[in-house]
Amino acid sequence: MTHDPLTETTFAERAREQLAKPFLRTAVPRATDHAANDLRARFADHDYEGLRARGADIRSATIADLQTHLDRLVAAFAANGVQVHMAADAAQARAHIRRICRDAGARRVVKVKSMATEEIELNPALIADGLTVTETDLGEYVVQLDNDRPSHIIAPIIHKTREEVRQSLSRVAGRELPDDASELTGFARETLRDAFMDADVGISGANFGVAESGTVVLVTNEGNGRMSTSMPRVHISLMGIERVLPRLDDLAVMLPLLTGAGTGQLITTYVTMISGPRGTNEPDGPEQMHVVLLDNGRRALLGTEYQDVLHCIRCGACQNVCPVYRQVGGHAYGWVYGGPIGAVLTPLFRGQQDGGELPQASSLCGACDDICPVKIPLHDLLLRLRRQRVDEGAAPFKERLVASVWAWAWSSAWRYRIVSGVASRLMQIGWVSRVLARRGPLAGWALGRSVPMPARRPFHRRRSDD
Amino acid sequence: MTEPAELWRAAPTELRPDEDPYARFLEEVAKVSGTSARCTSAELVEEILGQISYPPTQQIALTADLGDARPVIGRALIDAGHDVYDYERIADDRETVRHLDVTVTGCLAAVAATGSIVTGGSAGRGGALVAPTHICVVEARRVVAGLADLMRLAPRLGAGSMIALQSGPSRTADIEKTLIIGVHGPKRVHVVLLDGVVTTP
Repeated sequence: MTHDPLTETTFAERAREQLAKPFLRTAVPRATDHAANDLRARFADHDYEGLRARGADIRSATIADLQTHLDRLVAAFAANGVQVHMAADAAQARAHIRRICRDAGARRVVKVKSMATEEIELNPALIADGLTVTETDLGEYVVQLDNDRPSHIIAPIIHKTREEVRQSLSRVAGRELPDDASELTGFARETLRDAFMDADVGISGANFGVAESGTVVLVTNEGNGRMSTSMPRVHISLMGIERVLPRLDDLAVMLPLLTGAGTGQLITTYVTMISGPRGTNEPDGPEQMHVVLLDNGRRALLGTEYQDVLHCIRCGACQNVCPVYRQVGGHAYGWVYGGPIGAVLTPLFRGQQDGGELPQASSLCGACDDICPVKIPLHDLLLRLRRQRVDEGAAPFKERLVASVWAWAWSSAWRYRIVSGVASRLMQIGWVSRVLARRGPLAGWALGRSVPMPARRPFHRRRSDD
Repeated sequence: MTEPAELWRAAPTELRPDEDPYARFLEEVAKVSGTSARCTSAELVEEILGQISYPPTQQIALTADLGDARPVIGRALIDAGHDVYDYERIADDRETVRHLDVTVTGCLAAVAATGSIVTGGSAGRGGALVAPTHICVVEARRVVAGLADLMRLAPRLGAGSMIALQSGPSRTADIEKTLIIGVHGPKRVHVVLLDGVVTTP
């Protein structure tokens, strides 16, 4: 791993850096409110809650019996001529993909936007093997040019201004491109067209894998998913094992939930269902199709209190509504997934030691629970992760000390009276409250707020006087 | 697990029982920035010719899913001054594919509620994708109500290795959420809804 913000910096440091970028705080709400309004308009005459309930049922029943559905999926893939590879962790997944590329004598790879390939840090491994790797989603292409990271599950360059994109693409063009989104897109189209035509291998993720038919489903708008799986002679799909759906008609529920919650679209421009390599009488398509099934910590969540997080379909809706994400953006979370889902997945996949502080980055307002198209109880999961962090002793000493003093003082009436009485008297002294707010434990909290004064006479005493 | 019969109450990707599938299909095509026309078998060639300007000579590929109509459309386009290819003959010739201006395809199905056309790997994955303009001929009998019907039919469509749903031209909003039409897929998608079947007029 070349650069790992999660272990090198704290959430507070990363958040402070992001908060210094005023564009971010206008761009994220603007973009995400748009999706939410479109969603409301699209479902105005429909029972969206009913659709969510169906989606939640499909996902929870599937995950509850994951192994059965995976076995069926693998068998159906094999029957379709798809070569299936199991990867227990990121290293194994990278090794499979590198070997497939090597065996194919590949030199050039085109990629479809995929969070799973981000998760296993695939690109550096392929580049180290001497392969030319080109991200073909417009946003991911810019991320790659800038050696940056995507900051949103479905809108990777939500944090970048048009001017920044113009500068990046101008470097590729070797001339100054005009400040016009349409011209910039046109330039990327022409440049990437050569990449599609020359590529030996196309690598995609998988939005869903349908067990009944052995089908990889890709949901895109730009057409790069179709190009990358049509033109190169090898197609590799990296699929998280939890993305399985039992039946084709589950897609009639899951597709509108995914696109509705993700972008507010009724359906994305392209929904591509791939069930194997090019058939004998087909005019085009890859000669080989491989699916790499990625575990990387997923199976270990089965049967635990975190199993529900495996229902996630990566729509990004919880990021869009999260009051913390909307201020600090995706990079503050320090790893691949941001927002509430990132705050749950990161400690589970990367461990409490590195990711344990992320569940604290939540006001527990529950907006993520309300929006999640498959009804994952995200804020319950955040609370469980907080508790686990304390149980494991992973919380910082100061935090544990404050919490245990608090618990001691608040768990009996007389201790509460004494402690709150003393605290209240002390706070009435001007210099004590000023020092508390500026240097004491409240200093961070008091940065944007004034510290409230306790009442001279506590409530319980006033009640007993009445 | 799902109850497709009642799914229309919950999902806008299904038709209400009283809706006219053809009217809804054309309405949805327009909503996703596609254009459309409705014509009879006898008018089909004229409709397609009218969509492709001349001069200059355009590079046009036709896919096999046009059936009996393909040679007729092909002859008319050649007579109009265009270069016309059968897609399966040029699919491996990257230079020719790279410089296509228009593709004309049939389809296996079309989804009324979403304005989607559905093509299959059997006629080629790239046919509906590689040129800046895509004209798709949709026989009326191929229009299904919604996604649930499509998924039920999917195994029997004869689609081969890929079932490809396409709803309007390709698009992106990656740069400051500005909607741009025409990225890696076609910039222009024209749907011809055919009242009748594609046969030689």
